[in-house]
Amino acid sequence: MTAPDKEMRDPRRDEVIAGEYVLGVLSAEDRRNVEARLAKDRQFAAMVNRWEENLSTFNDDYEALQPPPRAYSAIEQRILGAAPPDAAFSGKVAGGFWNSLALWRSLALASLVTSIGLALSMSTLLAPRPMSGGRLVADLAGENATINLVARYDEANGALRITPVAAGKEKEKSLELWLVEDGKSPVSLGVLPQTGEGELAVPAVMRGRLVQGAVLAVSVEPFGGSPTGAVTGPVIASGAARFD
Amino acid sequence: MVGSDISYLIGRVSLKDRKAFAVLYEKSASKLFGICLRILRDRSEAEEALQDVYVKIWQRADRYVESETNPMAWLAAIARNQAIDLVRARRPVASDIDAAYDIADPLMTPEEAVVLRSEGRRIDGCMETLEPDRALAVRRAYIEGLSYEELAEIHGVPLNTMRTWLRRSLLKLRECMSR
Repeated sequence: MTAPDKEMRDPRRDEVIAGEYVLGVLSAEDRRNVEARLAKDRQFAAMVNRWEENLSTFNDDYEALQPPPRAYSAIEQRILGAAPPDAAFSGKVAGGFWNSLALWRSLALASLVTSIGLALSMSTLLAPRPMSGGRLVADLAGENATINLVARYDEANGALRITPVAAGKEKEKSLELWLVEDGKSPVSLGVLPQTGEGELAVPAVMRGRLVQGAVLAVSVEPFGGSPTGAVTGPVIASGAARFD
Repeated sequence: MVGSDISYLIGRVSLKDRKAFAVLYEKSASKLFGICLRILRDRSEAEEALQDVYVKIWQRADRYVESETNPMAWLAAIARNQAIDLVRARRPVASDIDAAYDIADPLMTPEEAVVLRSEGRRIDGCMETLEPDRALAVRRAYIEGLSYEELAEIHGVPLNTMRTWLRRSLLKLRECMSR
């Protein structure tokens, strides 16, 4: 057997380093080197993963020990900064949606401009001159946002409906709404209309399941909705339902 | 504690569900605290590490891939890594990935390999194929998060010998587990 060539991938050497990392015998510096490699070398990451799985039997040797109650309060405090408490259907955010400062900041300018435009047209143009068929629509877009908002004005009753739609070029993506129940795979409630028109009708068979505690989540899917029936794209928002 | 429950909770935590996070903490904190304390051997350090561990779980839950990892093993790995990083910062050791990298001889005889084939994939069976003091060193390294230097001292062998012990043991284990 030849000596390991440093320029070549040497699986035995990699196995050993992955195992040493999981055992925990490496120096701080070597641990950082291993982690840097983990991020870009999937094959190596799989080796580390396998060692973690294999050696996890040893975890039985660790005695469980109740930490003091103050530990959880401290943790809660630290993660509180990252996510606001539950709010009805506004929910919590993965990667930025309803509560994302960045999104709202980026949308702020666009929506400000649009709403001024809308206000103007509604007060001066719409009122005295009935619309002939068409409806007033504004696309509210932000830079690098996952979603846009479509505002549709119903001149008959003065209602302005704001609906999220997937950002990006038309026909590229859709937002899909999911019902997530305890211990079950998410079930699609439908694709949010890309036009911002209309509402989602909850299928009759699903209505009994839309109860307090059920979680609604929105994911970004290929245009038309998930091709597999399961969530395939990133979940950009979710929240538990409760009575308000 | 059922693995699939933990797995489901981690999924919910990835959606930033704080209730699920509280339940996950309730179900796993004593185990993870036990891990931190065993490695750090100091209660207040273990408490601090535990906080960092759960903040990481909160932040990284979306990286958990259910099909690839047992959920408790995933949580335990975060706790062990956190505790080991703290210990290494407290008692630094020299970098040694390239030191005495001498594992080039054949791993086992064909007879050994035949015996191993019947042992299956269980780590316990594979550990029994190691010499007892080496098996103990492997286990101790893992459980207590010891460095090569500390292990060499405890076992009363030179540093290079300990490196060779563990590296060969890892290769033997890998070969055994792959059968």
